Amino acid sequence: MAIVNRAEGRAYLTPLVGFLLFFLGFPAAVNLVYSISTVSFETLRSPSLSGLGNYAAVLADREFWGAVSFSMRFGVLTALAECLIGLFLAVFLTPLLAKRSYLMAPLMLPLMVAPAMIGLMYRLVLHEFAGPVPYYLFEWFGDSPAFLDVDNAFRTLLVVEILQWTPFAFLLFYMAYAAIPLEVREAASLDGASALKALWWIELPLMLPTLVIAFFIRFIDGFRVFDNVYALTGSGAGGSTTSLSIYIYQAFFKGGAIGKAVAASVVLFLASLAVLYGLNWITGRGRR
Amino acid sequence: MKLNRTSFSAAAVLLASVALPGISQATVTVLGWPGGSEETALRATVEAYNAQSGIADADKVELLFFNRDGFFDKLQADMAAGSDAFDVNLVATYSIGRYAPYMEPVDLGADAGKVFGESVLKTMQFDGKQYGVPTDLSLHFMYYRKDLVDALMQDDAAKKKYAEIAKEHLGKDLQPKDPDSWTWDDWAATTLYFSKQVNPESPVRYGTVLQMKNLLFNMMVFQSLPRSYGADWTDKDGNVTVDSDAYKTGLELYKKLYDAGASPKDSLSYEYAETNAAFGSGQAATALQWNAAAADLTNAEKTPAVAAVTGIVAPPSGPKGRADHIHGLGLGLNKNAKNKEGAVKFLKWLATEDAALLYARSGGSPALAPHVAAKVSKERPDLVKLGEFASQYGYVMNGATSANALSVYELQAKEFTGYWAGQQSLEDALAHTKTGMQDLLKK
Repeated sequence: MAIVNRAEGRAYLTPLVGFLLFFLGFPAAVNLVYSISTVSFETLRSPSLSGLGNYAAVLADREFWGAVSFSMRFGVLTALAECLIGLFLAVFLTPLLAKRSYLMAPLMLPLMVAPAMIGLMYRLVLHEFAGPVPYYLFEWFGDSPAFLDVDNAFRTLLVVEILQWTPFAFLLFYMAYAAIPLEVREAASLDGASALKALWWIELPLMLPTLVIAFFIRFIDGFRVFDNVYALTGSGAGGSTTSLSIYIYQAFFKGGAIGKAVAASVVLFLASLAVLYGLNWITGRGRR
Repeated sequence: MKLNRTSFSAAAVLLASVALPGISQATVTVLGWPGGSEETALRATVEAYNAQSGIADADKVELLFFNRDGFFDKLQADMAAGSDAFDVNLVATYSIGRYAPYMEPVDLGADAGKVFGESVLKTMQFDGKQYGVPTDLSLHFMYYRKDLVDALMQDDAAKKKYAEIAKEHLGKDLQPKDPDSWTWDDWAATTLYFSKQVNPESPVRYGTVLQMKNLLFNMMVFQSLPRSYGADWTDKDGNVTVDSDAYKTGLELYKKLYDAGASPKDSLSYEYAETNAAFGSGQAATALQWNAAAADLTNAEKTPAVAAVTGIVAPPSGPKGRADHIHGLGLGLNKNAKNKEGAVKFLKWLATEDAALLYARSGGSPALAPHVAAKVSKERPDLVKLGEFASQYGYVMNGATSANALSVYELQAKEFTGYWAGQQSLEDALAHTKTGMQDLLKK
């Protein structure tokens, strides 16, 4: 027997649906209209419908695909690195944190800083004449690499992102790892499983849903990166560090190409939806 | 319940009185440029305006500021939405065309030309109409190390080395010169001489600091170089001329200096702040930088390493003489202003000599006609140089006040930095820029 009947369910859902329609549905509808219109800041209230030209312009734009490539590489690499390092730290530090839990606080500190501030901080830290890193490199080796030139900017941005967000993955993995029942580990130990085998065959499978979720959260965050990249390198020499979010921002505000920017955001929305459905499918399959 | 309502009402009144202390009485609301000397100067000037006996309560001015980051983007969104939250708004030379549809021209009267000079008033004009009062002017100075250049000029062995470097890297016979008579070639030879990578004996690490980040403001710094070779965005018929020899010369010179190590390796991520830090560290011999940096770079407390030995001249000359990019910040009239009459009254007053002098004395950087600047030369000697350079070398590119001027700068920044970074050829960079500019400037 159902806890609530169908009518009651609808009644409970109405405020939520109303909220979503008002706060998400309206902007989404406006976006859809703009994406198929010729519109500028002067004609925001009277866009003229122009078909799918904006979508064609976006899909034919080499900068759009450059931005997609940047975001994809950035999202995958940072999510992978954060999850691997976070997992290693969770397994490695759990015994220590069980005894000294206060150590968790400093490990979480990077999460407290706004990404834009992180970008500004590294602009200073890596500056050849004001930053400590180049200073000591010059002191010790007589030279310092160009951290933000066109060859190294991508790697530097990856490191900056990974340093900030690895604690997030670590936190999730630590909680999942610590939640594995002691009896399971004891049973594995009694059966003669080595620590490595227990990790591979027992602990990691039990942590799998958390691993998947953490990877996708970090991938989505990395894919839509804006703040720290914008603060550190802008869109980079020749647009070399233009993420999809930066592309949309620049097309909208700097280029005044509102229809094109909105069309790109709709494409991004559809791609995100596909990823979320994929995630849902993977986790659903895992549960079965 | 009654108590709750009473408390709620009291809290609302309290909040309103705290959050909106001025707006409740505001009659002319001015949206200014937040932070920095501009805000300080505007506050002092408005205070003096409101204190005048002839100003009715209905015409008193209140100030409104929001964050500098993304200021013009937010302003655009506000104005496009028909906001009447302010009667007078900030406007900049490079964005006048973008905001003109939401603004109204103002007649500042004949005396405004005598106070600022026509070339400066032009920084606030679009389609031949005056859209604002110029309050602060920005241009560029060539900052250089007097001690290093003096030592070079007095040392015969150093001069010989200088000539060898100039011949090898620039293919020209050059001798060290006084910076005030530098051509761009002289400057380039000097920067190469003072770069460790070219001349290991150099007392400093780099000869200059180039601002090469993909950022529209860096294009303003750069373009005085091609301009002195005759560059313009368009010819008189409106044809885009960015693929001219003048632009090629300028772009190639920047790349040559960057590749030779005359500028820091990270120059492709450098803008205003990085350039100040590099020059201020004492490890760079020259820097083409905004005039706003003069106060810091010549202040012994803020820049102890170089303050006493920093010289300032106008940018070097090219075959067409010297050129110095100028743009102004100013205040203009919102089309949707609630109190247009009061706003116009304030703007006209702001364009008078008394108001301009007060603004200057309060820390602002107005470009004043020489006879007006002379009246504040003791308190603000920098304004004399500012006015002198602006009137003698100041220029605004054809189309640089158009609706898409900012987009043109953005486009140039992307394409030119792509060339400097070695991601595309000079021909490709100029071809992409030309195509994009044709599209942007025809709109």
